[in-house]
Amino acid sequence: MAECHDLSGRAVALAVETGAPLIALAGQPNMGKSTLFNLLTGLNQHVGNWPGKTVERREGHFDLNGRRLRLVDLPGTYSLTANSPEEVIAREFVVREKPDAVVAVVSAANLERSLYLVAELAALDAPLVVALNMMDVAAQEGLQVEAHVLEAALGVPVVPMVASRAQGVRALLDVIEAVLTGQRRPQPRPPEVRADHAAILAQIEALIAGRVPAPYPQAWVALKLLEGDAEVTRRMQESLPAETWQAVHAVLRAHDDAFLAVASGRYEWIGRLVRAAVTRPRVGQIGLTERLDRWAAHPFWGLVLLAGILGLVFGLTFTVGAPLQTWLEEAVIAPLAGLASEALSGAPFWVQGLVVDGLIGGVGSVLTFLPILVIFFAAFALLEDVGYMARAAYVMDNLMHLMGLHGKSFLPLFLGFGCNVPAVMGARVIDSWPARLLTILIAPLVPCTARMAVVAFLAPAFFGAQAIWVTWGLVLLSLTMLVVSGVVFNRLLFKGQRSAFIMEMPLYHLPNLRTIGLLVWQRSLSFVQKAGTAILGMALVVWLLSYLPGGDLNSSYLARFGQFLEPVGRWMGFDWRLTVALLTSFPAKENAIATLGVLFGVSPEGGLTSLLTASYPTATALSFLVTTMLFIPCMATVAVTRQETGSWRWALFSVLFYLVLSVAAGTATYHLAAWIGG
Amino acid sequence: MLEKLLAEIRSGGTFETGVLAARLGTTPALVEAMLDHLQRAGQLRPYEACGDACGGCSLKQACKSAQPANGVRLWQG
Repeated sequence: MAECHDLSGRAVALAVETGAPLIALAGQPNMGKSTLFNLLTGLNQHVGNWPGKTVERREGHFDLNGRRLRLVDLPGTYSLTANSPEEVIAREFVVREKPDAVVAVVSAANLERSLYLVAELAALDAPLVVALNMMDVAAQEGLQVEAHVLEAALGVPVVPMVASRAQGVRALLDVIEAVLTGQRRPQPRPPEVRADHAAILAQIEALIAGRVPAPYPQAWVALKLLEGDAEVTRRMQESLPAETWQAVHAVLRAHDDAFLAVASGRYEWIGRLVRAAVTRPRVGQIGLTERLDRWAAHPFWGLVLLAGILGLVFGLTFTVGAPLQTWLEEAVIAPLAGLASEALSGAPFWVQGLVVDGLIGGVGSVLTFLPILVIFFAAFALLEDVGYMARAAYVMDNLMHLMGLHGKSFLPLFLGFGCNVPAVMGARVIDSWPARLLTILIAPLVPCTARMAVVAFLAPAFFGAQAIWVTWGLVLLSLTMLVVSGVVFNRLLFKGQRSAFIMEMPLYHLPNLRTIGLLVWQRSLSFVQKAGTAILGMALVVWLLSYLPGGDLNSSYLARFGQFLEPVGRWMGFDWRLTVALLTSFPAKENAIATLGVLFGVSPEGGLTSLLTASYPTATALSFLVTTMLFIPCMATVAVTRQETGSWRWALFSVLFYLVLSVAAGTATYHLAAWIGG
Repeated sequence: MLEKLLAEIRSGGTFETGVLAARLGTTPALVEAMLDHLQRAGQLRPYEACGDACGGCSLKQACKSAQPANGVRLWQG
């Protein structure tokens, strides 16, 4: 029985069998350590807890050349600094139990991460063997890892292997046998402390010389003190005479950043080892990614490329989607309305109106823009799948920083392209209340899918071949308003807070059609479900209000309500129908189309698009699109704004802000367009 | 190297691991390893992706895979 100490300093027992040589398996999590343990011990293992801990302890035995060896699977740890109970267990075991060999399992595919533990084990003078696992993964990633170079640099045996396929296990066992019999003597070459801290380390070591409790190596304890290891510091404070500790403590306090220098020295050591032992592919995928990113992630050209790609997406959407939408409207919805009218000719007038105008005119019109959405979803799914969207996020965030916006605002705002609701809720990642509030307030200026769907439907109806440029301009307007609002609020609400936003760019790769198909299917299904529930409900309410009290649209409750608001609508060139359509977009943006469908109806002669084209001049059409783009966020977004800000005050402020912004922008657009158009 | 990385992060802004690696004269994988190290040492605080941010949204299933959580990490020094 031996003893070790946990973080609280309690003595706990380690129940290790005595007699047979002891091998310890060390490694970071997910390096294949457990696979190797299972491979070696098979059924000869048992699982328990480390004494006094809830950390799992696995030990077993296996026979090697007629000799029984004990194998202990140490907890997976990133280092041997007392950051966690696992790390304390692992290092106490190596220091106190003095295993006959320590096998450090590292990943050949990620040496940068896994060699840190080796750097620490090497400093403990343990008989170290490195199992260079996952050679297959490294090869798949195009990495060429030269084990003999690593071995020469580390001074310990390095055995390449693939534990999951039991490859290299025999060679590992031969090396273990050679270490146990003394045929091979590992001479670890641990990283040295950086030159600017070497004298400080020597000073600490001199102060504690002869006073370090056994079995801890003096140099290791000095290093751990310099690193600020809590457990070693506490132990040495207890062990050293008060005046010696005060002297040590004074040195440590004067160099409280030394932990960074020590760790930094280890990473520089790792960097040198990796440079020497690993050859990376310079051609093919990584080369292509680097070449593409010179443009795609460039602060200026990246934005130009993003604008171009958005233009292409809109172009594709309208070129392919708009004719399909028109076809659906003319070949499906209009004849369906005709058939329904005929079939219900004997039914009461209100039933015919409800089905033809309410159901087919409202929901049917909304469903016709499914082809546009499918193409839109597919284009973005493709960009996402090939790895471009991360670049888009990167260059956009650069722009936002340039404008003085808070970096952490970007992630939630990015989500806003899908839906503003998660964008507002995503602002939770921001600690600072003013910054979070700012993000919540400007999030609705990110054009969400629903808003884009309305624009995608109306732009071709009003502007034909020019729809691409109008849509592109609307997105640009919305994002410009976002940046301007952000800069203004940023100056007013918070100043000078800095944070970092770090992106790990995925490699560009060929798109996976299944992934894209699945994404398009899920989003389209969600849209159809919404059309069948929320939009259907609203379409029926709008129809009912347009029917009551006497069955005449122009004297209906809806018309009276619209006419009441018409004076404001006129500022933007709207009649009462456009005003009502805009207002009904509050529960869900798509309702604007459903409402227009109900109010204009559908007939065998023409669909909603042709009726709209014939009904409004260009200035009104443009004004309606601008106002829709900047209008009050949907009901769900306002509700989560209230939830996330904890008060109705900010939710109402948001509603008022967007109402004023959209009416002002719509009015300006209408008058400017009318003036230009003569 | 760690101090330089920490200084870059604390200056605020947007970073791409490849660009950071080039500035520090190392590989993106080593930068990522150092970021994790600084996080474990309590020097950096990572922000989880939006967590339950999509909780109440009816489109959450559709949006799930659109979240850039896998490629984006936020830190504060």
